[in-house]
Amino acid sequence: MSETLAGALGVLPEELLAPPVLELVGVRASYGPIEVLHGVDLTVRAGQVVALLGPNGGGKSTTVKVACGLLPLTSGELRYGGRKVDGISAQDTARLGVCTIPEGRGIFANLSVRENLWLATGTGVSRAAIEEAAFGRFPILGDRRNQLAGSMSGGEQQMLALSRALATDPAVLLLDELSMGLAPMIVSQMYDTVAQLVEEGISVLVAEQFARTVLPIADVAAVMLQGRVTAVGSPAEIDADLSTTYLGG
Amino acid sequence: MELFLTYTIVGLVLGSVYAIAASGLVLTYTTSGVFNFAHGAQAMLAAFLYWQLSVGWGLPVPVAFLLVVLVLGPLVGVVLHRFLMHGLRDVAEVTKVIVTVAVLLGMVSLSQWVWDPTEPRKVEMLFGNSASVELFGVRVRYHEIICLVAAALLAIGLRLLFTRSRLGVTMRGVVDDPDLLRLNGHNPDRVAMASWALGSGLAAFAGVLVTPVAGGSLEASMLTLLIIDTFAAAMFGRLQSIPRTFVGALVLGLASTYLLAYAPSSWDWAGNVKTALPMIVLFLVLLVLPQDRLRGAQVRTRERSRVPSVRQALGWGVAFVAIVALLTKVADPLMHGSFVAGLAFAIIALSLVPLTGYAGEINLVPLSFGAVGVIVAYHVGIVGSGLASRMGWVGLLAGTVAAALVGGLVALPALRLRGLYLALATMAFGGLVSTLVLTEIHPRSWFGWEGAIFPTGTIMVPPVQLGPFDLDSDATAMIVLAAIFALLGTGIVALRNTGYGRRLVAMKDSPAASAMLGQSLVRLKLGVFMLSAAIAGLGGILMAASAGSVSTDAFMITASLALVMLTVVGGVGYVSGALFGGMMVGMGFALVNGTFRDLALTHDAWSPVLGSMGHLFAVLVALMGITVNQNPSGIVHQLCGGYRPLLRARPVLYVGAGVAALLVALNLLGVIGDWWLAIALFCVVALTPVLGQVWMAERVLPPEQLEAHAARRRVLPVERRGLDAPMTPEERYDLDVALGLPPRPLPSHDVEVALAGGVPLKEAVRG
Repeated sequence: MSETLAGALGVLPEELLAPPVLELVGVRASYGPIEVLHGVDLTVRAGQVVALLGPNGGGKSTTVKVACGLLPLTSGELRYGGRKVDGISAQDTARLGVCTIPEGRGIFANLSVRENLWLATGTGVSRAAIEEAAFGRFPILGDRRNQLAGSMSGGEQQMLALSRALATDPAVLLLDELSMGLAPMIVSQMYDTVAQLVEEGISVLVAEQFARTVLPIADVAAVMLQGRVTAVGSPAEIDADLSTTYLGG
Repeated sequence: MELFLTYTIVGLVLGSVYAIAASGLVLTYTTSGVFNFAHGAQAMLAAFLYWQLSVGWGLPVPVAFLLVVLVLGPLVGVVLHRFLMHGLRDVAEVTKVIVTVAVLLGMVSLSQWVWDPTEPRKVEMLFGNSASVELFGVRVRYHEIICLVAAALLAIGLRLLFTRSRLGVTMRGVVDDPDLLRLNGHNPDRVAMASWALGSGLAAFAGVLVTPVAGGSLEASMLTLLIIDTFAAAMFGRLQSIPRTFVGALVLGLASTYLLAYAPSSWDWAGNVKTALPMIVLFLVLLVLPQDRLRGAQVRTRERSRVPSVRQALGWGVAFVAIVALLTKVADPLMHGSFVAGLAFAIIALSLVPLTGYAGEINLVPLSFGAVGVIVAYHVGIVGSGLASRMGWVGLLAGTVAAALVGGLVALPALRLRGLYLALATMAFGGLVSTLVLTEIHPRSWFGWEGAIFPTGTIMVPPVQLGPFDLDSDATAMIVLAAIFALLGTGIVALRNTGYGRRLVAMKDSPAASAMLGQSLVRLKLGVFMLSAAIAGLGGILMAASAGSVSTDAFMITASLALVMLTVVGGVGYVSGALFGGMMVGMGFALVNGTFRDLALTHDAWSPVLGSMGHLFAVLVALMGITVNQNPSGIVHQLCGGYRPLLRARPVLYVGAGVAALLVALNLLGVIGDWWLAIALFCVVALTPVLGQVWMAERVLPPEQLEAHAARRRVLPVERRGLDAPMTPEERYDLDVALGLPPRPLPSHDVEVALAGGVPLKEAVRG
């Protein structure tokens, strides 16, 4: 009702009228008896890059896990494209068009590069198309197509993980600590790739401990502390407040 | 040359069958993390089914063969995965082992129930035993050719599956990271189920092929253990590599055939070594396996053991001896014997409490350590002769020490192994004892000592005499064994309360952390293993002495497995769990069989039904093992936990005690027999807490459970909905319908519904 009214009055810009791609409303989640998310609200709109910042243990990774369906939420709502999908399984989010790259390299270490790419066809893309997209963007992966993924360097492994996002044409990309353990040059290369994906119209939620690496490409930044989103704003605003946020000043 | 070729072919055929079975085992282990001890039992069951279909019901051989291998075998795998293995990914290793062991025992019991073991059955080779061709001057039977070709095709097929098919690559992906596989849009459970179906199909295939190769007669235990031999081949491939597993299987098959063929005739033990070869290889391979890296993460377990104080343990011990002393006066003297056996088994089971319950290591063959104790005690400890002969304390001591030393010897090389690998190493040791030691029934010269280790296969062990206590009388034996059990139990509880006990538990919870605190894991493990073996040795001697004689069968691996399983079911972290396990093994079966035999005598018409009750019980006992996953702390613990809240609801306790007293009175009046009394008392003990929950729920149940019960019964009037608690989606839907609004769809886990009319998210959000 309010949406149609606001639309009629022209109060809100057009893109806000479409349902957000990803929405977490009052999400609580726990590991066993210990609750770690105490009511998280977060919205990713179409085409946006939302950076989820905050120190270790703030709940960033858990939020990503809830969003991709690896961890069930205990209360609150998870919505994709405006539809409530609480209790959705991870394989179903993947088929829905959500590509998640989990913390610490989203690759199968004991499979070859090609076999890794092959597994990405679980979302219904052909094998040839995936290899073409991956090897086109990262030629080095093409050179190592038959090498075991675990034997490659950290940067190459992350390229392989990102290839999945490139090739499966997802609507949403969930990234968890993309920069972890990588050289700064490689990190910026990774984020160049992410920026390119954004241009193609993908919405991104990226959890990142090192704010400076991700803020340049973000549209919205949110800070998580102790299982809650404590601040949401433009990257510039959040950047200015970051030191207080981290140091609790 | 011709002879060599013949033996080579025989060896290769055996190796092929091993390879087929072992690759199935590796397949399920890698994709689900569960080492299937029941693999051999599945093969055995398949062989019986094949016999039933082809011989019993006269189906054509190809139909029966395909039905078993392609339909029934995989179906068993699917059922096992769906109902059992599915939930076993993140549980303690002990639980995983026990659940599959329970399946093994259940399948063996089931087969003995359906197919009477006293009736001989034979399975012929495919195309008959005589259909053969001549190759290089050697007669090769069609069946053997099928085995060889099948193994070769399987090797190629599995290779193609794992590298060329998406299913195969997905199976390998499950091993690496099941969660990542989910994020790729695959369902790891479905993949694991496929691998269980395939693995079980291979077990069935091996079972049908191996029976005629191994002589053709169907015998449940023999067939089960035969496939267990393939564990060695699987370990060759470190439970990962299928090609190496194949090499291991062929080496095993060839080695055992050559050994028998080329051993000089004076090596009369060569036959035994051939039987033992897979276990020797298993043990050796385990020893040379690269060391398991200490993992930093804490091992996740759900077993929680309350630690009783020594004072409490002592109190319970005294009460236990008093109850047993009372029983000697009340119970039928005919029952005393099985009571003594139960207590002896309980002492053996006690050996598992410090080892498995505290330190978290698995010994699958406590009875084999018991056998070591018995043999040494038999040779050095008998005093006197004829009916007056007794087992003196020297024998008890020597047997106990010997068992401890052997335990140390077994553990020393196996110390760096953990969990499953240590369990397999103990199993290999059990196999060695059964096939090499207990088969030494003829005299020979041993470093100057002349004699047989286990003369005639059955040894007479006289009753124990300890100072003034002559255990020749069953009543005395009951009290003395109860006292020994109580003493040892208190000692173990006392041990748990010392720094040593805490170190053991620390090692179980996190080996890495406890190593970093400066603990010597080697010394800890060695110590606890020797302690455990010593207790098992002592228990073994007491068991043998109370039975009067023991044969090789008493120490069979399956008997050990049953004891271990029932102890874990009872609660391996508690002394009471050991009592439960021992009593069930030593007395439970006798109790049930006795009751139903008595009944069958008096109720002639029902005798076929009553006769099969013993079998039913055996299968039910195995099913208890399957429940370990739901209740990892053990049922004795659960039962006691059920009684604690009853202190707030005394009337329930009075009713329970009253019924028990009534039953005892009826027994004394001769209305019901002793066996019935025992079973009825057991039911009363088990059901009293349930009565409390139904009758005095408000005093017994915790508040949150009461609330949940009340909420289920309460139906809110429409106008109050959404006030006390948030509206459920269902209520909101109902409300929308009632108000004539377009109802919001109910939440659905189905992707197709979650998307507006099946439009992918991408299009949905871009309008």
